[in-house]
Amino acid sequence: MTTQRRTSRRVLGAAAASAAIALTAACTAGTGTGAGTGTTGTDGGGTTSITVFNGATGTINENWNPFSPTALQPTLGVIYEPLFWYNLAETSEPTPLLGTDFSWNYDGSQLTITTREGVTWSDGEPFTAADVAFTFNLLQSTPELNTSGTAATAEATDDTTVVLTFPEPSSFMQEAGVLGNQAIVAEHVWSEIDDPVTTINPDPVGTGAFTLKEFSPQSYVIEANENYWDEGKPAIDEARYISLETADAAAGALLAGQVDWMSSFLPGLDQMLADNEQISYVNTPALTASVFTCSNADLGCEGPQTDPAVRQAIYHALDRTQLNQLAGGGFAGVASPTLLLPERDAGWVADDANLEVPQTADVAAANKVLDDAGWEAGDDGIRTKDGERLSMTIQTVTGWADFISLNDTMKQQLAEVGIELKPTQIAWNEWNDNQVKGNFQLSLDSIGLGASDNPYYTYNGKYRSTNSAKVGEMASGGNYARYDNPTVDAAIEAAAATADEAEQKAQYAIVQEQIVADLPYIPIYVNSTLTEFNNTRVTGWPDNDDKYAFAASWKAWDNGIVLKTITPAG
Amino acid sequence: MTFVLRKLGFYAVALWAALTLNFLIPRLMPGNPVDQLVSKLAQKGQVTPATREAIELLLGANTSAPLWEQYVDYLRQLAQGDLGVSVTYFPAPVTQVIGQTLPWTIGLIGISTVISFVLGVGLGTLAGWKRGSWLDNLVPVTTMFQSVPYFWLALILLYLLGSVWMVFPLNGGYDVYTTQIGWNLPFVGSVIYYGTLPAITIVISSVGGWMVGMRNMMVSTLSEDYILTAEAKGIAPGRIMRTYAARNAILPSVSGFAISLGFVVAGSLVTEAVFSYPGVGSALLSAVNSNDYALMQGIFLVITISVLGANLLVDLLYSVIDPRTRARS
Repeated sequence: MTTQRRTSRRVLGAAAASAAIALTAACTAGTGTGAGTGTTGTDGGGTTSITVFNGATGTINENWNPFSPTALQPTLGVIYEPLFWYNLAETSEPTPLLGTDFSWNYDGSQLTITTREGVTWSDGEPFTAADVAFTFNLLQSTPELNTSGTAATAEATDDTTVVLTFPEPSSFMQEAGVLGNQAIVAEHVWSEIDDPVTTINPDPVGTGAFTLKEFSPQSYVIEANENYWDEGKPAIDEARYISLETADAAAGALLAGQVDWMSSFLPGLDQMLADNEQISYVNTPALTASVFTCSNADLGCEGPQTDPAVRQAIYHALDRTQLNQLAGGGFAGVASPTLLLPERDAGWVADDANLEVPQTADVAAANKVLDDAGWEAGDDGIRTKDGERLSMTIQTVTGWADFISLNDTMKQQLAEVGIELKPTQIAWNEWNDNQVKGNFQLSLDSIGLGASDNPYYTYNGKYRSTNSAKVGEMASGGNYARYDNPTVDAAIEAAAATADEAEQKAQYAIVQEQIVADLPYIPIYVNSTLTEFNNTRVTGWPDNDDKYAFAASWKAWDNGIVLKTITPAG
Repeated sequence: MTFVLRKLGFYAVALWAALTLNFLIPRLMPGNPVDQLVSKLAQKGQVTPATREAIELLLGANTSAPLWEQYVDYLRQLAQGDLGVSVTYFPAPVTQVIGQTLPWTIGLIGISTVISFVLGVGLGTLAGWKRGSWLDNLVPVTTMFQSVPYFWLALILLYLLGSVWMVFPLNGGYDVYTTQIGWNLPFVGSVIYYGTLPAITIVISSVGGWMVGMRNMMVSTLSEDYILTAEAKGIAPGRIMRTYAARNAILPSVSGFAISLGFVVAGSLVTEAVFSYPGVGSALLSAVNSNDYALMQGIFLVITISVLGANLLVDLLYSVIDPRTRARS
């Protein structure tokens, strides 16, 4: 579960390793049945109801507390709304939801937000800026809930204006978290709740396009909010969320018309689409699959990968076209050595030469780097230097089929330049623990999504030394490579201290120059995020030409946008 | 009476040992619940050192306390019937998670185990009684089904009966689209309908063991002198089969049944995975995946108690059915 995508794709798959074979069986079998056998659809009264599978497995436990890290996914974005919404699927400005405008003061310590007029809570009470202020002050006074580390205190200066005051100046980088990642709750409801930490909030009162209709541990239903502020939306009446144990079961249910929206990597997707006209898909590649290296010998990393030349050689020796074909199913996108997304973030990449990783192996370049660094060819084809063999273990998680085949293919590719790669597969827990504590040489993982498309969210977590720790200690901030570079630290800090994008870009240029040379994370490709839809009951799903939202069925916030945009078919 | 007390004492010690192991094993696993939740949050968005602090506060997880202190706490809470709070399903208490999943598992696996036992023992009795008849040929067939990997058998049946002929639903515990949970006719009917296919797979894959065991015991019992005596006395063959032969031959199967009843709770993981059935197995899987100590311990506790309880019951029952066991001890 490196990312939520992995939840649907892998944890499910892990349940039964055998499943792969049966999946293919289930897929082909389903083609005969087609849609229409499903029991969703209309229930007599002309109600449009769709079914969503968001990766939930087993029994579902009720939790509609928008502050809770274990809240059910539709809590965020579908029932409760943030002030603004960031579409991470493409380059975009924040979309106003409960907020309509915002501005910073000159030193970045105060953020003034204008809130929307004419919004009511699902219980009929009016929404005002006071609710926004209450939400942030509740976070501030309840450290258990403050998982984002938001330090702002808030004051509503009138019914439509709220001012957030941060304890430190230059808090510009809190912007996306505060505006886009915080559900706003109703003061008149939450001021009555005794324990906001442990409440499961069984009757959620939100401003979102849907409200809770019924809940059972196997399935729950949300229905259109009659009081919704966005005129004419939503166009569908209900959405049901179900729980399925495996990706096979999900694929079968999709073809049988029992699921309308799901995100799983389905082997044989092309064939399935050809046989089933009602099925469509969207691919939103956003997570860069990379070789994470424990790169810093000063902090205790051991192995040849602490030599930047070795990391450079790996970077050049990979044949990414082949990797995409064998492991990525041909759906993967092109990565960037800057760790940004070339398609979406081209504007943030300072040097065009760093926009994309090479797609074919450059064996000569890799050999030259290693020769220059003193790694000499050994008798068995593996290079050595000062008696140390150029041999490293690379870890990934048992059952992550595509990553396992990445490892196997890279092993062959790197052997060409005298690098020995030893793939291992371990349980998720151990793999994660190794990464956090630095007990690895190489590890396969993905770079996750940030709060917005600003590179700060990637660079701060992955490269800043304050998010690192000695090997053996926990690098909870995310700098698993133990990367420590004062130039990079200074540039990230400088970028965070300004709201001026040109200045930020100049600082990121410095970061990019350093990390492209050091490569503590070696990008492979941008992993596909495949989402499948059934168009029988509703239309207007995102597609590859119009990614109006990050459509993965597990994605918080974006779910609300998709559900209020789709319309009944026919 | 001392026999019963001695048995009870033995089971008390076994329970304590199991509880202690229960406590230790999850803690020997790599990682801890806080990191787990932090790493999962990191996938959704930004994580700062503040995040970790918040989660620690939230879970009240004192993972840095000495192990013995945690152990004492654990036993004390257990004594009060408090199984703790699940991390995966925070803030739901473990008892609630188990309470929601256990009835499904017991219903499905329990009933199919009983069916399989009754069917297997019955067929085994007949096969042993009429050696060499067509029933004997059933033995290798059923044992073959038992030796086929269970998940494979289940997937094939699901494919054939679920996808190809669409006799049974593909997944789930009941029809979530049209029925409401509760004691109403459509729901109960739906549960039975949805449970039939998984139950069939379990029965098919386990009936062979009972059958072959019972048949062979029947065969050896039938060669005993008292059977010959009974036949000489002219007792009706049906009565000989039931009260003379089968009653003695069934003894080993009863103890086997007790053990398998105990594992009803534990042995459901694969079934639940294949059929997306909402039982304890899938809860255990997600508990292990998220280092959810409390939930793991809670489920292990239920398994332990059911295994020990079933065994104790049969131990006591056995001494009633078969006086020899009591006399020797």
